[in-house]
Amino acid sequence: MCKPDMAPVYPQASSYPHLADLIRSERAQVDRRIFWDEEVYKAEQQQIFARAWLFVAHESQIPDPGDFIRTTMGEDDVIVVRQRDRSVQAFLNACPHRGNRVCMVDAGKKARGFICNYHGWSFGIDGALRGTDGKVYDTDAHFEKAQINLTPVAQIESYRGWIFATFDPDAPPLTEFFGPFTFYLDAFLDNDEGGTEFIGGATRNLVDCNWKFPAENFVGDILHAFWTHQAGAAAILGGGVDLGPHYAERAFQASVFGHGIETNLDKVGNTRTLGYPELVQYVFDRYPAMVERLGETRARMVGAIGSCTIFPNLSFLPGQNTVRVWHPRGPHQIELVSWTVVNRAMPEHIKELYRKGVMMTFSPGGVFEMDDGENWEYATRTNRGFVTRHQPLHYALGLGTEAPEKGLPGHVCRGSLNDANQRQFYRRWSEFMRHDNWGDLQAAETAPPQHQEAAE
Amino acid sequence: MSALPAITEPFALEDRPAGADVQAEVERFYYREARLLDAERYQDWLDHCVDRDIHYWMPDMDTRRRDDPRGTYAHGEAAYFDDSYAELSTRVKRFAQPSAWADNPATRHLHLISNVEAYETGRSGLVAAFCAWMNVRNRNETDQDVLHGRREDVLRRSDSGLKLVRRRVFTVQNVLLTKNLNTFL
Repeated sequence: MCKPDMAPVYPQASSYPHLADLIRSERAQVDRRIFWDEEVYKAEQQQIFARAWLFVAHESQIPDPGDFIRTTMGEDDVIVVRQRDRSVQAFLNACPHRGNRVCMVDAGKKARGFICNYHGWSFGIDGALRGTDGKVYDTDAHFEKAQINLTPVAQIESYRGWIFATFDPDAPPLTEFFGPFTFYLDAFLDNDEGGTEFIGGATRNLVDCNWKFPAENFVGDILHAFWTHQAGAAAILGGGVDLGPHYAERAFQASVFGHGIETNLDKVGNTRTLGYPELVQYVFDRYPAMVERLGETRARMVGAIGSCTIFPNLSFLPGQNTVRVWHPRGPHQIELVSWTVVNRAMPEHIKELYRKGVMMTFSPGGVFEMDDGENWEYATRTNRGFVTRHQPLHYALGLGTEAPEKGLPGHVCRGSLNDANQRQFYRRWSEFMRHDNWGDLQAAETAPPQHQEAAE
Repeated sequence: MSALPAITEPFALEDRPAGADVQAEVERFYYREARLLDAERYQDWLDHCVDRDIHYWMPDMDTRRRDDPRGTYAHGEAAYFDDSYAELSTRVKRFAQPSAWADNPATRHLHLISNVEAYETGRSGLVAAFCAWMNVRNRNETDQDVLHGRREDVLRRSDSGLKLVRRRVFTVQNVLLTKNLNTFL
């Protein structure tokens, strides 16, 4: 007699050298087909989104047992739910019977479980099958309930309240996936006692662009701000974006494993663009305490003009306090989900100003974000042209600006007006296409420079 | 002058429909407002249609179970607009810039207004109004975004006619099916 095997299946990675070669690092060029071709997109789902650690939730979104939110990892629908023991688990949002979605809502509080609307299979918040509608299964002597579960992610971990998951049982621990990039992350996730929280839920919208354009924009493209965001800056600041007199000695880009941050170390440049002087004053007032906690360099990053992407598709803006995920929806579309992040210890009226400031600047109607979408849409759409997408793209700003003398972790380059982090982002993308195992992935070129590892 | 309702309060006394003259006045207000917005006359819209005490709110709409006590939206949570007059003015300043690239070349706008109902509020000088809207934005060759929703408004009488002083905008969309909101709804 046959017997179903309901054990989870985590797809294996492969190797796509011909796709990896679409990144021409030696020429600082990127082949445009990575933004258009269905073949590339399919390989990304397997090589990147089924393997990398992906952001799924902030602890503050699901404080109590049974609290859950629904999100996606790549295109896979996932429920993230707080367990009775206060740990967090995540499951594919698909019934193992006929595959129907078991959770239809964005979020909820204190759920006891999830019931499939199709045949009434019901699952506990631990993902285990609890029961079925009617008596048919109960009287079927060969039906074994015990092995049937919502498929769990392979691993789930929290870093300072930010929860990530992966579908790869072989993925290294989350902190190894970050590597020494945690030095920079901590400037935002841990600049005050109690860490961060998300407030006010998410806004979500569709943008018809390839997911890598916004990801590379946040990993290290402050250059675009001067041109793209002239109008937004004029509306809020009454003038253009200004990197100030100390740009040359202070600004830098840093990258580890494709994660990247560009920063101007100006203390408040990003916060200023939210348009509320009270917020700028708040950041200044907290500066001495942040120096104490983080040292001067990182304290200067907290509100400064800067941006960050965690490979592959989580981004945030220091000081403006918007956090977003660029969820892929086919090669030519993303679902953009964005939240407002604040420190738990902030006074309520300061949190409220951040909520309003993010809405005014970086939401679908925001005076900055409004002008981003069309650029990314047309950067994607021009590749419809067969000849067009065979032309290389130029990623060569700031060659030869490596700055090991700064003594900061990762691949560090002088100046934030630089394509350095974008080159590293695509180098990491290429490594994910080429390597079928984490040993090679973590020893590849985007890994922190050797001398730094020796020093640790 | 009577106190203004909070953005979360009911606006209309639904058992007290306004008279035919007020109903006609409200309709005229909506059609003129729509025409100004379609023509991107945002400063005129502020000057002629918007009261200085405006609270203009468009919450994000969640998908939630019917028994979820939070409901599908909540004030103080994520929103597309939650603006005072000063904040609306900031947005209008962006539109006025020649480098507002998402509006240059110009977007072609259409605001369709229907299902207009005017009600008394129980407060002197204030009229409550409901309407449904459709917003079409077309750009460049084939880019088109269509949004639908409802408004719940309070209009205040002034020397120069009715002005918008409270607005709740509810879209029927959960994930907003557009790259941006370069308009007012």
